[in-house]
Amino acid sequence: MNPVSFAERMLHIDRRIIFFMIGLCTLIPLLYPVGLAIKVSPEVKSVYDYIESLPEGSVFLLSLDFDPASKPELYPQAVALLHHAFKKNLRVIGMTLWLPGTGMASEVVSRVAREEGKVSGKDYVFLGWSPGASSVIINMGQDLYKAFPTDYNNQPTAEMPVLKGVQSLRDVNYVISLAAGSTGIETWYVFGKDKYKFELGGGCTGVIAPGLYPLLRSGQINGLIGGLRGAAEYEVLIGRNGNAVAGMDAQSATHFAIILLVILCNVFYLLTRTSKNRAKQSRS
Amino acid sequence: MTFLRRQLPLLITLVTGLLFAAQYYIPHPSSELMLTSVSKWLQIIGGFALILGVTSLFHIHAVKIRRKEPGWGYSFVLYAGMIGTIVIGLWHGGKETTDGVTTAFGWIYTFMMVPLQGTMFAILAFFIASAAYRSFRARSREAAVLLIAAIIVMMGRVPLGEHLIPISGDITQWILNVLNASVRRAILIGVSLGAVALSLKIIFGVERAYLGGGKE
Repeated sequence: MNPVSFAERMLHIDRRIIFFMIGLCTLIPLLYPVGLAIKVSPEVKSVYDYIESLPEGSVFLLSLDFDPASKPELYPQAVALLHHAFKKNLRVIGMTLWLPGTGMASEVVSRVAREEGKVSGKDYVFLGWSPGASSVIINMGQDLYKAFPTDYNNQPTAEMPVLKGVQSLRDVNYVISLAAGSTGIETWYVFGKDKYKFELGGGCTGVIAPGLYPLLRSGQINGLIGGLRGAAEYEVLIGRNGNAVAGMDAQSATHFAIILLVILCNVFYLLTRTSKNRAKQSRS
Repeated sequence: MTFLRRQLPLLITLVTGLLFAAQYYIPHPSSELMLTSVSKWLQIIGGFALILGVTSLFHIHAVKIRRKEPGWGYSFVLYAGMIGTIVIGLWHGGKETTDGVTTAFGWIYTFMMVPLQGTMFAILAFFIASAAYRSFRARSREAAVLLIAAIIVMMGRVPLGEHLIPISGDITQWILNVLNASVRRAILIGVSLGAVALSLKIIFGVERAYLGGGKE
């Protein structure tokens, strides 16, 4: 077969073949994991180190600002962070700025708390969701009890032992926003940290991570857990391998499949382009 | 009527805009109290905005169903889904679980919404792979640079890449921390200056598009 016509045919390959290839690259490593070593990046280590440095009883606020669409990447981050915080006996405040994520956020906070033997109201509280996004943060910065008079289970927050001595965001030691979009880390920085002076870290989906590096480099956030890779790194740090580590082999295979496809497509493209240029020159 | 439609909103915007721009720099208790009250108002307005959004969605799809426009069946499914979820949600007080038992509302959330949204996002991987194959081509020098950077970052972000080419992780970190961060920062500064300019135009009544195009 003529290599140029083969290249042209390959450039217009049925996309279902690509779908099938990606499906296999995802499925096979999940069924037969290899378990390659995961190197921890400095931005993930910073989040881990900061939580490690917090004394027992410090207040840690985890804002789960994502919906179920981002569950595969951000849920493992939430699980790892909550395990770490509960292990360190921090007082945990859970909440969300994303309405569709409320049920999932409530489930992950209460499930991990149950696994670590923690009690709602005493060791942790899940505040739920309140409308307004940035105004919720401002309101919490002014008076946490006005923003959330009751928790997600309709229990009055003012009487909770877990919130003893916490009047506003100024009394929170560390805030982490796990974000899947614009209402998340940037919102917490602009309307929260900048005014109420708490330390802020972030976790996000892989797709928005590059956009948050300016905040990381300028110290506006002290660390960043990016995508499933970041979650896997955190699981390695706390010594508790979960879904993120399990998913890394599949992600490795899928990335390499895409790299291979891109290289192949460029080889075919250059072949056809060279042939077309030669044909033009011979005509002229 | 012109006063209510034009002058009064412009006046409110001017006064509140200047007041709350100044408030940020005044840490006096009365200034903080004002911010507390107003942030609560904003939360309440946010709640109404949600109702407005849902009402608007209902209206748009009701029109589609009534006129039997193309795809009106999807609108019907949307209507059935929304009404069903709202009724069941209200019935259970918006709770997914009661005394540790999953409610019908919780069942809809856990077994319908979570997997449906997860699936929608997951199929992106397939479309991205297909789109990358079809369009990620070195058509120019700039495209070739982008292509090489993308391949390095894709390698450096997974354990297999770092295993095969150990330096790919460090190069990826450098691309993200230096090249990406500096360009993003430049864009952010530009966008922020634009936002400041637009805010000033709104505060001083130069930009009036937010008032709508109703009759004077």
